[in-house]
Amino acid sequence: MRITRWLVSLLLALAAFQAAAAGVSLKDDRGRTLQLAAPPQRVVSLLPSLTESLCALGGCPRLVGTDRYSNSPPEVVALPKLGGIDDAQVERIVALKPDVVLAATSARIIERLESLGVKVIVVESKTHADVQRSLNTLAQLLGTPERAAPVWERIQREMGEAAARVPPQLRGQRVYFEVDASPYAAGPGSFIGETLVRLGLANIVAPELGPFPKLNPEYVLRAQPDILVGAQRNVGEMPGRPGWSALRAVQRQRICGFDPAHYEVLIRPGPRMGEAALQLADCLAALR
Amino acid sequence: MNGHARLLRRRLVVTLAVLALALVVAGLAAGSEGWSPASLWGPDAPLIVGQIRAPRTLGAWLVGALLGLAGAVAQGLFRNPLADPYLLGAASGATLAVVLGLAAQAMAGHYISLATASLLSSAGLVLGAFLGALGGVLLTLLLSRGAQHTTRLLLAGVVVGVVLGAASDLVTNVAPDALRGKQWFMLGSTSFLGWQSVLLLGAGVLVCVPLAWRLARALDALTLGTDSALSLGLALPRLRLVLVVVLALATGLAVAQSGLIAFVGLVAPHLVRRFAPSAQGYLLVVSALMGGTLLLAADVLARLLIAPQELPVGVLTALLGGGYLLWLLHRRGIE
Amino acid sequence: MSALACADVHVALGGTPVLKGVTLALQPGWTVIVGPNGVGKSTLLRVMAGLLAPASGTVLLQGRPLSAWSARERARQLAWLAQQGEARGELTVRDIVHLGRLPQLGLFTPPGPQDEAIVDAAMAATECSAWQHRHLHALSGGERQRALIARALAVQAPVLLLDEPTTHLDPPHQVALVRLFQRLARTQTVVSVLHDLPLALQADRLVVMKDGRVEAEGAHDDPAVHAALESVFDHAVRVERVGKRFLTIPNLDS
Repeated sequence: MRITRWLVSLLLALAAFQAAAAGVSLKDDRGRTLQLAAPPQRVVSLLPSLTESLCALGGCPRLVGTDRYSNSPPEVVALPKLGGIDDAQVERIVALKPDVVLAATSARIIERLESLGVKVIVVESKTHADVQRSLNTLAQLLGTPERAAPVWERIQREMGEAAARVPPQLRGQRVYFEVDASPYAAGPGSFIGETLVRLGLANIVAPELGPFPKLNPEYVLRAQPDILVGAQRNVGEMPGRPGWSALRAVQRQRICGFDPAHYEVLIRPGPRMGEAALQLADCLAALR
Repeated sequence: MNGHARLLRRRLVVTLAVLALALVVAGLAAGSEGWSPASLWGPDAPLIVGQIRAPRTLGAWLVGALLGLAGAVAQGLFRNPLADPYLLGAASGATLAVVLGLAAQAMAGHYISLATASLLSSAGLVLGAFLGALGGVLLTLLLSRGAQHTTRLLLAGVVVGVVLGAASDLVTNVAPDALRGKQWFMLGSTSFLGWQSVLLLGAGVLVCVPLAWRLARALDALTLGTDSALSLGLALPRLRLVLVVVLALATGLAVAQSGLIAFVGLVAPHLVRRFAPSAQGYLLVVSALMGGTLLLAADVLARLLIAPQELPVGVLTALLGGGYLLWLLHRRGIE
Repeated sequence: MSALACADVHVALGGTPVLKGVTLALQPGWTVIVGPNGVGKSTLLRVMAGLLAPASGTVLLQGRPLSAWSARERARQLAWLAQQGEARGELTVRDIVHLGRLPQLGLFTPPGPQDEAIVDAAMAATECSAWQHRHLHALSGGERQRALIARALAVQAPVLLLDEPTTHLDPPHQVALVRLFQRLARTQTVVSVLHDLPLALQADRLVVMKDGRVEAEGAHDDPAVHAALESVFDHAVRVERVGKRFLTIPNLDS
């Protein structure tokens, strides 16, 4: 009896040891399979949303360097900043001896790093589904696949809470979310657009225009959105644009402008999407 | 040959060779920690110095050499001291190809088929830029109906530049993600040069420099004027075509690896002429030497000036090259 | 036999007829083409050099049509000097004169001692040997002209076509050039377009042009040629005999 129990414990221990020592094998968004002997201990992230996702999954201690735009959570601010995605410093990245580098698509740096023997994982986050998938990928990468679900559930909870905070009379109202003053808008296919849908709002941009279409300003004027959302510096000058003062939303001050720190949260497709939804909901609730 | 002129020429070549050698050594020691010769013996040396700094340093010299050669060919071909290698549509063709490659993912499913998108992104940005550069020059040649007339060639080059530039803008409008990559390409960078790049660039120099040197006498004859050159029995359209091909190859190889680095092609021949007036044979080869040294110097400076950060090398060449041209104009103004 | 001849050549430049049926057979010796501005003298020279294709008519070089000659063969037969100094650049005088050997050597054969000797002789003929290592842009107009003439001489072609070779030259060098042409004319066909009428009258033969046509052609002492000369210039000049030579003087008396 005792020998059996001892054997079972031994087997369990062996199994646990196996699981812990098992290599990581996963497919990134390029379709390439990455093999690592063990979960990476030294990670470089070249995209702010990936930095945030990694930290949300408990991977912050493993980060050894980030791109220049990563600033959240506060622990990453002190890390070496390695340039942007287009001008990342090859030598510094390699000198940090990372086990893996996280990047987004189509950057020359990926080719170069891989030719130097550095492993690169490409993770895209354009939609909510992408974010969920990237959380799963990153969690798997870290060797802790079970940590992805709680993070996603938290985001969902925050979304639900945010949806509840939106005043009922605003439901179904049509929003124009401006991403750039050109103007580029967030369409329903983008993660921002999806968040708006979760909050019960409609989008003046038709889905077939794509995730971030560049609009003719006339389109916006003709659509007469009920609510205007964007960065403070953009929405601040909207009334001054030719013809825009005729918008009902301008006349009734149905505008949500966000300062740079808060706007940053809105446009990062990562673990703070729930927080972004709450920000939006609070602003909407404050509208008259 | 005049003794004094010969001395000047030899002195210039020796100076450039010595400078290049010194800069190569400096390039091996300059990196993300600034000036760190100790890193040459450190434990990471094979990787950091051997795999990153060495190919980048050599690559920078080779890119500069190709641009310098291309600039000298352009200035000889068009008999214009303000000609640069990007005149015939190579730059705009390469940019469009890069933008298409960057935007392929974004456009997939909406404007282009998924198959085209995956083809574009798998081709790689380097190959794309090279083919784009050649394509741009081909378009210019088609538009000008061969290399018959220099003026027509120039005009066609301008038209192609404008049209392909507009096409790039159109694509970045539709896929704004590609905009940043496009801006970096147009600024130029030596950061991504590896040993494979060095091999390609080296092959390019070995092909283009001797070929251009062989045709140098035709460029000499052209300095007399087109009709005079024709009266000497030169098959000018064919010769021009070969020179345009050399120009396209050299420029295409250079920009594919490092983007549109400014001013090196324009300034290198000027500097050679200033220090050692000579016939085209010498001018072409030494412009390559000069271009190589210039860009290598800019690259080393770019790594050192604000280490651990890097200045974009294109900014340095623009400042130095632009500054030199301004000074030149100032001096001419005084005279 | 005439080394170079035109048969009923018509040329239009930009839609405007410039040469309206020129028939001319150049004789050995030194021929000068004269006429008022814009009558097509330079154009005729360029057609004969093969640089401009006539709309109709033929140019015969050594009895064969120009089009039957390859560019290089033609270049060995015809040396052409441009009217204006289009030349630019940092070449030395010696380098420029060496370019004259291109028709013989081609692009890839390096010059040999024989070519060097020809280059030396050409520079000596136009008296530029002393500054053969100066660069083109450092020369005066006259020096440049002499360097370019030397380039044309270095071709050693049986036919020399020179457009305004005396431009920028001061009287001593003009005279030296005339003596040179007279010497060359003994073995080659030298054709020059000249504005300077007194100099022109020292040639063996004159071709007088007006309105894209040849008005008269003949020896330098042919009265018919003199009459044509006075006529095409609207009698602003008069041909006078001075000793053994003929000169033109401005006609201020009528």
